[in-house]
Amino acid sequence: MATTAATPSYEQTGIWSWITTVDHKRIGALYLYTALFFFMFGGLEAGVIRWQLAQPNQHIVSAELYNQLFTMHGTTMIFLAVMPLSAAFFNFLIPLQIGARDVAFPRLNAFSYWVYVLGGTFMTLPIFFNTAPNGGWFGYAPLTTLPFSSGLNIDFWVMGLQILGISSLAAAFNFITTIINMRAPGMTLMRMPVFTWMSFVVQFLLVLAFPVITIALVFLLFDRFFGTNFYEIAAGADPLLWQHLFWVFGHPEVYILILPAFGLVSEILPTFSRKPLFGYNVVVYSGIMIGFLGFGVWAHHMFAVGMGATADTIFALTTMLIGIPTGVKIFNWIATMWGGQIRFTAAMKFAIGLIALFTIGGISGVMHSSPPADLQQTDTYFVVAHFHYVLFGGSIMGIFGGIYFYYPKITGRYMSEVLGTWHFWCTFIAMNLTFFPMHFSGMLGMPRRIYTYDAGQGWDTFNLISSIGTGLLILSTLIFVVNFLKSRKSGEVAPGDAWGAGTLEWTIPSPPPDYNFAEIPFVTSRYPLWDLKHPERTSGIAHSAPDVMTITDAHATPVHEEMGHKTAAELGIPMPFNTVKPLIAAAALVAMFGGLLFMHTNQFAVAMTITIGSASLFVGTLYAWLTSPLE
Amino acid sequence: MPRKRSRRLSSALILMAGALVVAACGEKYPNSTFTHLTDFNTIIDGLWNRLLLLGTIVFVFVETLLIFTIIKFRRREGAPDPKQTHGNTTLEITWTIIPALILVLIAVPTVDAIWKTEAKASDSSIQVQVIGHQWWWEFRYPQYGFTTANELYLPAGRTVNFQLNSRDVIHSFWTPQLGGKRDVIANRTNYIWYTPDSSLAGSVFNGFCTEYCGSSHANMRFHVYAVSPADFDSWAAHQKENAAMSPIVAPAPAAPATPAAAVKVASAATKPAAPAATKPAAPVAAMPASEGYVFPLAKMPPHTLPQTPFPVGDREVKFDESLLAGGDAARGHELVSNMAHMGDVPCLTCHIIKGEYMVAGKQMFTDDNAKAPNLTHFATRHTFAGGIYPATPAMLARWVKNAEHMKPGSLMTTLGNGEYAPSMKSKRTTGLDDRQIADIVAYLLSLK
Repeated sequence: MATTAATPSYEQTGIWSWITTVDHKRIGALYLYTALFFFMFGGLEAGVIRWQLAQPNQHIVSAELYNQLFTMHGTTMIFLAVMPLSAAFFNFLIPLQIGARDVAFPRLNAFSYWVYVLGGTFMTLPIFFNTAPNGGWFGYAPLTTLPFSSGLNIDFWVMGLQILGISSLAAAFNFITTIINMRAPGMTLMRMPVFTWMSFVVQFLLVLAFPVITIALVFLLFDRFFGTNFYEIAAGADPLLWQHLFWVFGHPEVYILILPAFGLVSEILPTFSRKPLFGYNVVVYSGIMIGFLGFGVWAHHMFAVGMGATADTIFALTTMLIGIPTGVKIFNWIATMWGGQIRFTAAMKFAIGLIALFTIGGISGVMHSSPPADLQQTDTYFVVAHFHYVLFGGSIMGIFGGIYFYYPKITGRYMSEVLGTWHFWCTFIAMNLTFFPMHFSGMLGMPRRIYTYDAGQGWDTFNLISSIGTGLLILSTLIFVVNFLKSRKSGEVAPGDAWGAGTLEWTIPSPPPDYNFAEIPFVTSRYPLWDLKHPERTSGIAHSAPDVMTITDAHATPVHEEMGHKTAAELGIPMPFNTVKPLIAAAALVAMFGGLLFMHTNQFAVAMTITIGSASLFVGTLYAWLTSPLE
Repeated sequence: MPRKRSRRLSSALILMAGALVVAACGEKYPNSTFTHLTDFNTIIDGLWNRLLLLGTIVFVFVETLLIFTIIKFRRREGAPDPKQTHGNTTLEITWTIIPALILVLIAVPTVDAIWKTEAKASDSSIQVQVIGHQWWWEFRYPQYGFTTANELYLPAGRTVNFQLNSRDVIHSFWTPQLGGKRDVIANRTNYIWYTPDSSLAGSVFNGFCTEYCGSSHANMRFHVYAVSPADFDSWAAHQKENAAMSPIVAPAPAAPATPAAAVKVASAATKPAAPAATKPAAPVAAMPASEGYVFPLAKMPPHTLPQTPFPVGDREVKFDESLLAGGDAARGHELVSNMAHMGDVPCLTCHIIKGEYMVAGKQMFTDDNAKAPNLTHFATRHTFAGGIYPATPAMLARWVKNAEHMKPGSLMTTLGNGEYAPSMKSKRTTGLDDRQIADIVAYLLSLK
């Protein structure tokens, strides 16, 4: 065993190699770093929000800036932090878990990343000039139409989301193609690791949900720039059009945010319980079920808009229904641990934390599903508590667990377990300190999205506790950052099979060579590595189909241990060329949207020059890209 | 040593959290939704109690199971690999069916409550039209024929049916203690109704806008006064009447009125006797005999009295309060309807004061499309500006001087001479001086 970690292949040649990379692992790492940066930025925005609300009638920031902060906190956390953090895992893990050498379209993958970075920057920078989006992350029309929001603020939001949508869609098509076409021989769908399964469901949600918000945004963009009347109330528009379109996207979006975390937890729990996942089929089917039902519940965000008793009844029932597959997952996870030999690593602590906290979010979710009760809860802090238990207690806890779990695979070194334990307990306590009191402040009458509140309303203490919790949460994230950075250099060296896990990504060295698998493995079960090391763990699993190709002794692991440190050239594996074209195409795309902003400063000629110029550059780059060879 | 310190730190944290919880328990919750003050909230609270009970049972069960599992099955040194299981169909069907049954227990009363609360209000209910504006509330009583703003009077014991519309963006109408919320949407009419219990006569409730509606969303509040039916009738009868000083007199000599405007005044003021138009009405003497019922300020509990502080920093509005005592309502009366000689739009451009007419310029709004709060009986209100300020002379003066600083985004223009007007991004070089503002305040406070 090596005594020092091998330098990751994707760190060898300086900054230009990062800019031009098409390696899914390097792109995954880029997603991870960028998304963590945005996560911290969004956290600081939350810090200012909670500072303002710590006491009644405070004016740390103005109403205008506060409204930008809460809009950008939501937008940042959803589109620039949690979704890309999931994307980091999609990129890094999917090819490794299915035994592939890269994603189906490596250059498109790079394009997705660059569009995300540039689009995220496009939306974030205006906060430093007091012109950040200020219509809420949900951007309800008619507030976001020109008569009520004439500044550039909303323009940044509309175009930023359009840009990010392109990134998500391109990535989703890429991963669907990858998962369908590039699985190693023997890996039937029902042998895919659960993370890949959940990711697979998420990609379909992205493909089906993003076009809806794209259309909603195109309407809004045309209203704002070209004088159409989709949402203009003066022209008789029905403001509910936006809400329906938005939530048809917005509710599946919730599952886009949570399912990858569910997938990560479903990898972590079996590993540290030394047992296969309990009821693999049910976990997979319930994931698919959640995906389907997720499209039938959008109007539960709209119980107060006056849809009428019939619609309220239908959406109440579908919403309750979605609680069932979610509850099933919780019980399957607990049953996975039941009878196991649980090792409390930092990753495992976060995974267990997810079960504990997501349960609370799930229960308050069922409380909203009852429209009459929801009429008292909606748009109060109770809802803020609910979705933070889902998105922080669920997504973020799962993602932190995933980072501790896969850090050795990404970097070749373990993160510090001591700091990880501190990080976990601080986060767990701070999270509850911040969000649990919001259940009370909400039910005791505190509306959401208010930049200030009067004294003596019965909310003072709860708000103070929430704010103290947020301070602690920022502190605990700092512990994580220190751990993350320090372990790169001084963490304990990790072997290929860092945790004794069972899936394919652990059969190759840590960090993996750029070609991933020296030989494409044959897959014989859901836990190929356990087949080899712990055959007793997988022997009882009913495989999804009679396996005609089972060649257990041809398992790939020993091959990789020996050959994993050779270069692709030595092994004769063709690798895709690095290219800067995806970055140029992404920059041109962002500039194409950005140029339109000049229309609102009455510089039509400038706007058209930039937009048409960038569009030409985009098309030209695409042509050059498509006519140049991949490898 | 570090271990000891960390333990001390954690016990300090626990103590602090405990102290905060105790403090929280000592607090009063004047906006609690857990009330039975209306039929509506009684239904919701019943539903909530069931949700809370079942939720707590599920919570305790799952978390106990989780904690039990992770303690019982923690790894022990040298233990052999655990017994391998991959699933159990019976078990999995069980934990699919049990949650489904729990959901049925929730679904049945839910559907029942949906149809109860969304049924049509009884025909005998009081109708109130609620119109949401950025960032204030307009309340109309079509059965009585008058309009008021930000303060709602309801007769205790009678069902009130709110008809909700917005003039601009989406708002949401919410009085947590009395009932759930309903969105207030342009081009769409929503309804919500409830019956304040008859024991509530003499109580005040806070109301809030709960749909994000722009800069001053936090400043869009209102108050609900539940009063006895007799008091309500007295209040309503008075609110129907014209403003205390009406009808307006001929323009003061200093203000050259256009002939057209004069004609308009004359024609509009047909009902009152002509001589009244020739000399200024004496402020107090002209007041109607009955002032009608007004909810006594002394009976307002502290949480219903707004405590919004004066804006500070670059939004500070300075005002010489010693001028307020000398404010002349008659001069203020004239300014409200005519600022033409100062190159300014008079208050009546946007506000309505029933019985008052513009002397110069064009009356732009009728009661049906008013752009600003109806001020007819302004002095019977205890709060203003979306319920965020008490209607005191000092507050009003600053408001008239620079409303845009007093309330972020306010659509009421900055009127004070020399004041910075954020909407124009410049300092005003014309406008009212403090003396004139004191006059306007005196007039507003005479509008009993």
